[in-house]
Amino acid sequence: MLNRINRRSFIRRGAKVLAFVAGGVALASLLRQFFPRSTGQKRRVNLGRLNDYPVDTFTFVEDQKVYLYRDHEGVRAVSAVCTHLGCILESNDEGFLCPCHGSCYSLTGKVLSGPAPGDLNWFRIGGSPDGRLYIDMNSMVTPDFKFLIT
Amino acid sequence: MTSQKTGTDKVVREGNSYRMERIKRISQSFFLHIHSTRVHISSLRPTYTFGLGIILGFLFLILILTGVVLMMYYTPSVERAYDSVKDIVYIVPGGRYIRNIHRWASHGMVLIVFLHLARVFYTGSYMHSRKLNWIIGVCMLVITLFLSFSGYLLPWDQLAYWAVTIGSNIAASARELTDLLGITNYIDIGGFMKKLLIGEETVGQPALSRFFTLHVIFLPLSLLVLIAVHFWRIRKDGGLSCADFREGVNRESDEEKNKIYTWPVVMWAELAILFVISAVLLLTAFIVDAPLLEKANPAFPENPAKSPWYFLGIQELVSYSAFSGGLLIPLLYLGFLISIPYIDKQDHYQGRWFAGKTGMRTALYSLVMSLVVVIGQLFVMVRYGWLRDWFPGISQGVVMLVNPATLSVIGFVLWAGWIRRKTNSTRMASIALFTASLVAIVIFTAMGIWFRGPNWDFFWSRSQWPVI
Repeated sequence: MLNRINRRSFIRRGAKVLAFVAGGVALASLLRQFFPRSTGQKRRVNLGRLNDYPVDTFTFVEDQKVYLYRDHEGVRAVSAVCTHLGCILESNDEGFLCPCHGSCYSLTGKVLSGPAPGDLNWFRIGGSPDGRLYIDMNSMVTPDFKFLIT
Repeated sequence: MTSQKTGTDKVVREGNSYRMERIKRISQSFFLHIHSTRVHISSLRPTYTFGLGIILGFLFLILILTGVVLMMYYTPSVERAYDSVKDIVYIVPGGRYIRNIHRWASHGMVLIVFLHLARVFYTGSYMHSRKLNWIIGVCMLVITLFLSFSGYLLPWDQLAYWAVTIGSNIAASARELTDLLGITNYIDIGGFMKKLLIGEETVGQPALSRFFTLHVIFLPLSLLVLIAVHFWRIRKDGGLSCADFREGVNRESDEEKNKIYTWPVVMWAELAILFVISAVLLLTAFIVDAPLLEKANPAFPENPAKSPWYFLGIQELVSYSAFSGGLLIPLLYLGFLISIPYIDKQDHYQGRWFAGKTGMRTALYSLVMSLVVVIGQLFVMVRYGWLRDWFPGISQGVVMLVNPATLSVIGFVLWAGWIRRKTNSTRMASIALFTASLVAIVIFTAMGIWFRGPNWDFFWSRSQWPVI
């Protein structure tokens, strides 16, 4: 087999391989454009002052799509996005309810009924040096985690 | 005697030239020669094809014409889109009318694509070389659905925003499967598909730009190419599907005797169809306005957030499980549609509605079976709840794989297998499976349209909806 390679067949094969590689790279780099690296979303966001949030209620924070819960000890934040298909949950006394397909979650974000595949995420809340709250959307915590008010 | 003979010759000669004239009208015209010069008379029997294919062609034409007009006023930006559609409805002279026509023509297209599919299936017109055209047809069905889906995002109203949020998360729901297998960190197919569709984590400007491009260039162009291939294949596969192909008849001579000239007979018929659907569309668009909801609000979904009627069946299925209802079952169904010509090769049933009496009985039994199985499960679900209500904390894998939709699929496949054994016919088996799934689609869609209200709860009628 090896001795049958002459100049002509070598160039012919080489050209084919090159054409495939070049075409593949061109196509891949085009397709790469469909997956932009920057999402333009800030993950650590200021939420304003503690006193903006009433005590013992879930307050909806529109931009981050979370419910902030403040009690006398501290502040917690739970995702307001249904884990099923991304609708915004409604909060009531017993927990959270999805208006789109009826998934129910408990007050700790556990799935009670409906098609939701997972529990709600809780996010880390912290205090900025200037005395304001921030939320870190990259940091998931347990439901009992609180940013303690000192 | 001589003069009489000359007279006959003259008649024959004139007749021939008249025939040639008719043939040339078709064969010498670039646009008309998608027709054959002559057509078998039983292909044209209205109750055989109902002219559904040509109706679809005309609807697509109307959609392109009205779409181009709408495109001149529409701006695909998150800030401007909604207002530009409002301009079209309230300011542009005749804009509302054109938008209505566009909307109702698209609804008509979805409906008639399904009817056309059913017609081709029930008359067995997918045999032999028509296999490829059947598969092209299934691809066109998918493109039609994507065209509708990408179309109703564009106004950027509440329906648009939430339908696309839900749609892109259905694509992402492949994660349910990869999570179950524990491989999401390595191969995130769901995330990949979602990003491909909307470009970000949530629906925003990139999603609108992508859907706009899909809706006005990529999908219509693909459909146009496929339509051309579809029509061309019809010619290559022996012309329009022909009714009543009986054994023992000399097909050649029978065909020759019963063929009529396309020009002008078929052309008149097609023109009549164009007039009728134009009239129906103009009238519908005059009476019924296309819906336009509030401007998109990413913080509050509508309750209930319902898509247009043709996706409510899928919406009902995803309310059981996003992955199995939104991806698994639709893909299985498409797989089944594509495989039909390979499952069933009994060509002696070709061209006969329901393959005769046995097939009609099979279809009827399958209809009743499907009604009982699907409505039975829906009754249990509405009245007594489903797995998670009985066993809280049950694994997501079970919720995903055991629900009315998946159980129906299993039931239908078993039923088709039983029919196959009982009748020893692949045609009957595919009629059973096709009918059962078609009935299920209709039931799930009807459930979504009429019996689901706020929080996707069951209601007998809209009047029972609670005031929120």
